[in-house]
Amino acid sequence: MIPRSFEYLRPSTLQEAVQLLDKYEESKILAGGQSLIALMKLRLASPKYIIDITRIPGLSYVKEEGNKILIGPLTTHDTVENSPIIRNKCPILSEAASRIGDQQIRNRGTIAGTLCHADPSADVPTTFLALDGEVVAMGKDGERVIKAKDFFQDFFTTALNPNEVVKEVRVPVLPPKTGTAYIKHARREGDFAIVAVAAIITLDENNVCKSASISLGSVGPTPLRAVEVENALVGKKLTDEVIVAASELADRGISPPSDIHGSAEYRAEMAKVFTKRAIRLALSRIGG
Amino acid sequence: MTEALLSKEIPVPRKWVGTPIKAKEFPRLITGQGRYVDDIKIPNMLYAALLRSPYAHAKIKRIDTSKAEKLPGVVAIVTQEDVLKYCKPYPQIVPPPADKLLDYCIAVDKVRFAGEPVAAVAATERAIAEDACELIEVEYEPLPPVMDAEEALKPDAPLVHEEVGTNLVWHEVFDYGDVDKAFAEADKVISLKLHHHRYGGAPTETHAVVADYDKGTGVLTIYCNNQMPMFCMALIGLSFNMPTDKIRIITPDIGGGFGSKILSYTYMMLISILAMKAGRPVKWMEDRRENLASGTHCNEATFYVEAAVKKDGTILGIKAKTLHDVGAYLRYEPVGALLWIQVSSGPYRFKNLRMDVNAIVTNKGPVAPIRGYGRIQHLWMLERTVEQVARQLGLDPIEVKLKNYVRPEEMPYVSPSGATYDSGDYPTALKKALQMINYDEWRRKQPELWRQGRFVGIGAALFQDSGTNNFAQVRLIYKNNPFSGNSRMAEMWMDEFGRIIVAVGSNPHGQCHETVVSQVVADVFGVTPDDVFVVPGFDSWVHGWTGHSGSYASQFAVSGIGAVLGAAKRLREKIATIAAHMLKAKPEDLEFKEGKVCVKGTDRCVAFWQVANLAYRNNLELPEGVEPGLRVIYTWKAPFKLPDLEKKTVNATLTYSYQAHACVVEVDPETGKVKILDYAVVDDCGVPINPHIVEGQVHGSTMNGIAAALFEEYVYSKDTGQLLASTFMDYLFPTALEIPDIKVDHMISPSPFTELGTKGVGEGSLVPLGSIAGAIEDALSPLGVVITDSHNPPERIYRMIKEAQKKRK
Ligand SMILES: Cc1cc2nc3c(=O)[nH]c(=O)nc-3n(C[C@H](O)[C@H](O)[C@H](O)COP(=O)(O)OP(=O)(O)OC[C@H]3O[C@@H](n4cnc5c(N)ncnc54)[C@H](O)[C@@H]3O)c2cc1C
Repeated sequence: MIPRSFEYLRPSTLQEAVQLLDKYEESKILAGGQSLIALMKLRLASPKYIIDITRIPGLSYVKEEGNKILIGPLTTHDTVENSPIIRNKCPILSEAASRIGDQQIRNRGTIAGTLCHADPSADVPTTFLALDGEVVAMGKDGERVIKAKDFFQDFFTTALNPNEVVKEVRVPVLPPKTGTAYIKHARREGDFAIVAVAAIITLDENNVCKSASISLGSVGPTPLRAVEVENALVGKKLTDEVIVAASELADRGISPPSDIHGSAEYRAEMAKVFTKRAIRLALSRIGG
Repeated sequence: MTEALLSKEIPVPRKWVGTPIKAKEFPRLITGQGRYVDDIKIPNMLYAALLRSPYAHAKIKRIDTSKAEKLPGVVAIVTQEDVLKYCKPYPQIVPPPADKLLDYCIAVDKVRFAGEPVAAVAATERAIAEDACELIEVEYEPLPPVMDAEEALKPDAPLVHEEVGTNLVWHEVFDYGDVDKAFAEADKVISLKLHHHRYGGAPTETHAVVADYDKGTGVLTIYCNNQMPMFCMALIGLSFNMPTDKIRIITPDIGGGFGSKILSYTYMMLISILAMKAGRPVKWMEDRRENLASGTHCNEATFYVEAAVKKDGTILGIKAKTLHDVGAYLRYEPVGALLWIQVSSGPYRFKNLRMDVNAIVTNKGPVAPIRGYGRIQHLWMLERTVEQVARQLGLDPIEVKLKNYVRPEEMPYVSPSGATYDSGDYPTALKKALQMINYDEWRRKQPELWRQGRFVGIGAALFQDSGTNNFAQVRLIYKNNPFSGNSRMAEMWMDEFGRIIVAVGSNPHGQCHETVVSQVVADVFGVTPDDVFVVPGFDSWVHGWTGHSGSYASQFAVSGIGAVLGAAKRLREKIATIAAHMLKAKPEDLEFKEGKVCVKGTDRCVAFWQVANLAYRNNLELPEGVEPGLRVIYTWKAPFKLPDLEKKTVNATLTYSYQAHACVVEVDPETGKVKILDYAVVDDCGVPINPHIVEGQVHGSTMNGIAAALFEEYVYSKDTGQLLASTFMDYLFPTALEIPDIKVDHMISPSPFTELGTKGVGEGSLVPLGSIAGAIEDALSPLGVVITDSHNPPERIYRMIKEAQKKRK
């Protein structure tokens, strides 16, 4: 379990990292290494050049700007979990980060790393999709903003070009009367999800559902929005009958994989169960 | 010293035996100062990597190592050709025709499981060795794999070993009592098909070998972490073209084993061949993926069971046909298929038993003697059967168990197979465990919880941990097998300065032998455990050993300690003889205390060092006829008999520890996930030498059982034969978050067959397999779900619930 040999490069700015990415084919950014190094050790990935961005200063931060929270790419899962700004203004991201692996992994793994790795069963990508977050991508010709719904393209595949890096991650400050929940079904605490659900529910002043954002992890090649569930909630008073009926639609449009922890059929059923539970939990968390 | 000098009855005061002192090993192991095989570095050493088969079953048509050889840093490559030069096939313990089965330390002509070694590379760095493996070209002709024991028995099934001509490698019927009569007299017959899954040890330290061949002396030194290297010496000696007197085996600290490390002799030989070919020492450290794929899993077994019962739940007799899937090679098998014979009726008192036993090869990794070897499968089967007896008769499973348990007053109890249960009180232990989880309270609450849609259930089980095995039981596999009995050797000496040193030659991997030995010896010599040094690790040139030596099968507290006690008494006797001469007293008037030998009731004493001085440096003062030196060897022999080959009975094990477990679980009916709400264990391993260490073993075994019941399974693809649980992402080792708090209490039923009343405790028999299956079944009893598999992950339970609900509609 030793990677094939590679060249190690250590740029001192993100611009330089982008130049190196552009210069060398078969190059990869190294952030926390919690996905990349494992793949390299298993020899499932063998980049020829490793561009280590972890020594570049100023890439770990959490800031509030307008109605957005701006997060530096090297911000660790642990920092995301414990940031007061995220906890207060976008608690679901904190909750998702807290469910990643174990403490050692959360100390090293980064928010941009998990998004770029784009594992459909990972915790943060599913949540990021429910949040309608965005990333700022930087390439040699400048920067562009990519929306969450466009970012995840396939299993382990994003909309980033090979010579682009994620410079910043942005999520919204959630409006008042909003409740959120991120829950996952896993064999052990810290495992990748068999099914995961991120639910964000906002009520209006009459306690009618004003907006609902439900996203499912581990049921397709990317995290998926449960649009039919969302539609069945918006505009309604969220009685338990409404929630149960809406959750029954959670298997629409998904294409779950099968593995030894859950067959496709089982995942489809669990998508319904966990959607129901996530909505109930989110609703219960809406403050006055 | 003559035998006549030995008084058999030196009373051993129990000061340190029974005291929970901190283990001597803990400080070094916990602070990372243990020394393992991977810590060994020899000048000029190379590093090895193995190329393993990607196929479960395929012919090897061609192996081309030329590209790999050219890679800078590669020094030697071993393939089947080299192995055939050095090795004969391993001897087998089965009767014909399976005795023809060919097994080597590398795949020869054919690969028979995914992960089987095909080539070994030694290079100046491990990374280079791994790169070289990728450059070796192997041309395979894939064959259809056979991945299921029952499939393997079909006439058109692919043969794993053509040379045997069948996949059924061992079959025997054992008939005890009058089974037909029992079934004729039964009020009801209960039938079940059960499946015991594959899990394993997955120790923290994987297999490791450093092989160092000294051309000058012709000595091959093998550093390894094998748990019973000197038993394996028989396999190595008989198959290796190497003079055994020139093979030296060393085991340093070992990072866990659970039985899996008994099979590493194949690696010990392969890496040795590599070292001889390279002409340089070679280190090989197995990686985790290899460890999971290489086999050393537990025996997988399918049971067809029938139980003859009376209406009141009395069990009259049991018939079982068992199919053991032992994987691609026999290695230690078919012993695992036989070992139910140690616990034939489990904790129960029925007399009539017919076992139709089948050992079958498939294209899975070869199995190993994993913790609870061969007994767990059987005990779990009995437990499932007894619970189904109760449920199908409308009785309480707990009541039915209590009714059928062997009674304490019946001990020692001869079971149907002739195995004698030495002591114990099973009903009290079970009741105690139930009390610890507030059984009555949960039973009272249960109907209300069910009404609320909460599926909470209670399970309780008692398994025995039979220890100190009689090797003669393998003669029931094949009468010509040249093994019997059990033995251990210990060497002990007092050095010139009066220090006591013990060399036991065991291979502990977490059992703290250094501590318990020093406790026992301290009592014999009236010193403290800190005054006794136990030589760590094992070295076949330093430690005495017998063909039974090693650390396995729950027995050190009996066999190892038996040897230590024997040696200690011998040494004490000699010291007493010299001291008596010095003190002008009779040996029987002396007592040993605080590093001195004194005339009882007086202050006339000589210090140990003074006695030692006479023995080593001042020997003209020794009494007439006493040989100088204070060094003794003792070989302990277990009091066993040969089996009755007609009746197929054998006193298979000397001691029977047992654990009663009780638990409360809640099943999430929407997901099938099981949560343990409460867990209690009552352990009885006879006299505990160190209760602290016993408690650790009890916790470990309980965790191991919970892991097996709910998390760990070596799942193979039925179509491709690939191991699907191939990393720790899929082979789910539970963490502290999955394991509940475990309440532990103890009972002490001294063994009448051992000197200190001790019994083995290492295996503990993974009782959660029984208690959790029972608790799940109990929780789901309103739905009538029957648990038939020893492994119950969420989806399996979910499906059972859905099916039951469908049936009810
Ligand atoms: C034992 C274990 C358990 C885990 N359990 C979970 C779990 O339960 N849930 C879960 O969600 N995750 C889990 N993970 C994965 C973890 O979340 C990883 O940290 C994360 O997926 C990757 O982040 P990283 O910073 O470590 O990225 P790296 O491994 O360094 O990189 C991952 C990928 O992203 C690319 N990349 C990284 N940063 C950038 C950037 N700024 N711009 C462009 N590309 C970039 C890399 O090139 C690489 O392709 C687990 C990991 C381990 C080892």
